[in-house]
Amino acid sequence: MEGIAITGYGIVCAIGNDASSVLRSLRAKRTGIGSMRYLQSCHRELPVGEVKLSNGEMKRMLGMDDAAIISRTVLMGAIAIRQAMNHANLSIKGKRVVVISGTTVGGMDITERYFLRMQEDDTLLPLIEKHDCGSSTREMADLAGLKEAEVCAISTACSSAANAIIVGSEMLQNDEADIVIAGGTEALSRFHLSGFNSLMILDRECCRPFDKKRAGLNLGEGAAYVVLQKRLSGELFVRGYANRCDAFHQTASSENGEGAFLAMSEALQMAGLKPQNIQYINAHGTGTPNNDSSESAAIRRIFGEHIPLVSSTKGFTGHTTSASGSIETVISLLALQNDFVPASLGCQEQDDACIAPTQSVDTISLENILCNSFGFGGNDSALVISKTPAPLRVDRKYKEAEAKVLAEETITDIDQLKDYREFISAGESRRMGRLMKAATITSLKALRKAGIERPDAIITATAYGMLETSEKFLIDMLENGEDTLSPTLFMQSTHNTLSSAIAIRTKCHGYNVTYSQGTHSFAWALRDARRLIESGKVKTVLVGCHDEATPTFQDFFRRQGKPVPPTLYSKSIVLGCITS
Amino acid sequence: MEQLINDLKLQIKEALNLEELTVEDFDENAPLFGEDGIGLDSIDILELIVLLEKQYGIRLSNPKEGKAIFQSVKTIAEYVQANRKK
Repeated sequence: MEGIAITGYGIVCAIGNDASSVLRSLRAKRTGIGSMRYLQSCHRELPVGEVKLSNGEMKRMLGMDDAAIISRTVLMGAIAIRQAMNHANLSIKGKRVVVISGTTVGGMDITERYFLRMQEDDTLLPLIEKHDCGSSTREMADLAGLKEAEVCAISTACSSAANAIIVGSEMLQNDEADIVIAGGTEALSRFHLSGFNSLMILDRECCRPFDKKRAGLNLGEGAAYVVLQKRLSGELFVRGYANRCDAFHQTASSENGEGAFLAMSEALQMAGLKPQNIQYINAHGTGTPNNDSSESAAIRRIFGEHIPLVSSTKGFTGHTTSASGSIETVISLLALQNDFVPASLGCQEQDDACIAPTQSVDTISLENILCNSFGFGGNDSALVISKTPAPLRVDRKYKEAEAKVLAEETITDIDQLKDYREFISAGESRRMGRLMKAATITSLKALRKAGIERPDAIITATAYGMLETSEKFLIDMLENGEDTLSPTLFMQSTHNTLSSAIAIRTKCHGYNVTYSQGTHSFAWALRDARRLIESGKVKTVLVGCHDEATPTFQDFFRRQGKPVPPTLYSKSIVLGCITS
Repeated sequence: MEQLINDLKLQIKEALNLEELTVEDFDENAPLFGEDGIGLDSIDILELIVLLEKQYGIRLSNPKEGKAIFQSVKTIAEYVQANRKK
């Protein structure tokens, strides 16, 4: 049987600009977290995990003109993809190549620099094309020499890159591609940093995952990609994976780590492994009091008294958010190939509420590693990577079936939100922008029409996410500074906040992924939903397509003579199977 | 003090988007958190911290400090009166 082989990888992060330098830093226990050098933020007191390259240096590495205006997210991503392709010694001629990439804020570093000037200066308007997750992913693939490749951005906050690897593996299994390049990229931006700061989850010192005195995370940046191909033999394999939703809160994890528990359990089951077959867990371990205790609870539920070696490598790289899933996958691959376990930097005092992380093991025989990535909205993913090519086993709950549309609901006008109180209480509505309200209403109406209380999975498409709240946050930051910003607005800037809200509402712990590939987002979401149903994994999927536009944003398009995006659009479809 | 309590009620109502709560119904002694009171949560604490800094120049660096201060509008008013910078 063939397995999903990892035939190459590339990485750029705070501890190195390629895999061999990352390996050296891990071995030497050398952190990459330190004072801000490239980011122009007023929060200079905050330690960050910056990539040690200027944008100019990266442009030169890619053979680009220094004057080109291009997102740091795109630059790092293109470099890591090129590394991965070289490492795999890839020949793409005549092959179906797909690039799947995780990102949360896309080209926000460009938008935050030019947004105010774009309101007056027409020559800057084309920069709006660099803002969204989808266009920045397309630009990055093109720069890496993959103009012919299919491209797709996944935006599920800090689990984005892990989900890119999951979706890529599924596409290979389903014979939709010959080569998948999957991972994630995210640059530090003022938007991102001050958003996390508004949530008061940033440690003023170097982060201390699992330590009793841990006080939050340090933001990092970087990119990492793996090349995935179906192979009978090889050195490294994706052996199991799962994505589950905690369905608890937009920014906090449940006390018993339900979503994490479900994701890890199912990934092990798919890999055909027992807990004792795992020698090392690369934990999500952000350093926030909440994540580390919740993740520890989930690990204890699975491994009981026999917990394998665990470390969080965020003490090296910082929390690289959307890229963390693939950065930590590549770190795990380096551990697997070189038979060592990286240290969990920063943990000095054991917390009874947490597992005890390892201080590193220089020589050990590793076979299977579990790698965790959790994101806002309780978006929890786990990957099992392995030296052995086990057949990918899928828990086939249902017979192969054809996916059919069971119900559909659409909102295209703000007036249609008038009767929201039928679905949304006053308490709930106070933190909901109009797009969130619309998405909730169309979702609940479609489910009701289909006679389903809770779908098995929720898949969402959005090109720009909750633009109204993101724009408010951005303008407040640009006009009034980075200090007193609203956490409520920031929370809603992550694209999967819509999908998570519906999961929380319907208590749906199932697969929960958000696609953000411009006008192709909905097609990607439907494709995933059909694949999920037709592979027999689930019976019903709620698929949503939700977008909004603000007057300022619409004006950017109008002034360019381009089609103006609609003020509000929300469509929800319930897909279900008719068993054959 | 009465004026400050009234200002705070308006500012809190706006910052937390408490549309359906009128200033008259907003009891300054009612607990802000928990199901018996206004029903605020941890994200609201963060918003209230932003509010204190913006309106009164008071800087809280740890959300845990907020717990005692944000019991009710009355306790916030007392804290603001003692610590305000503007």
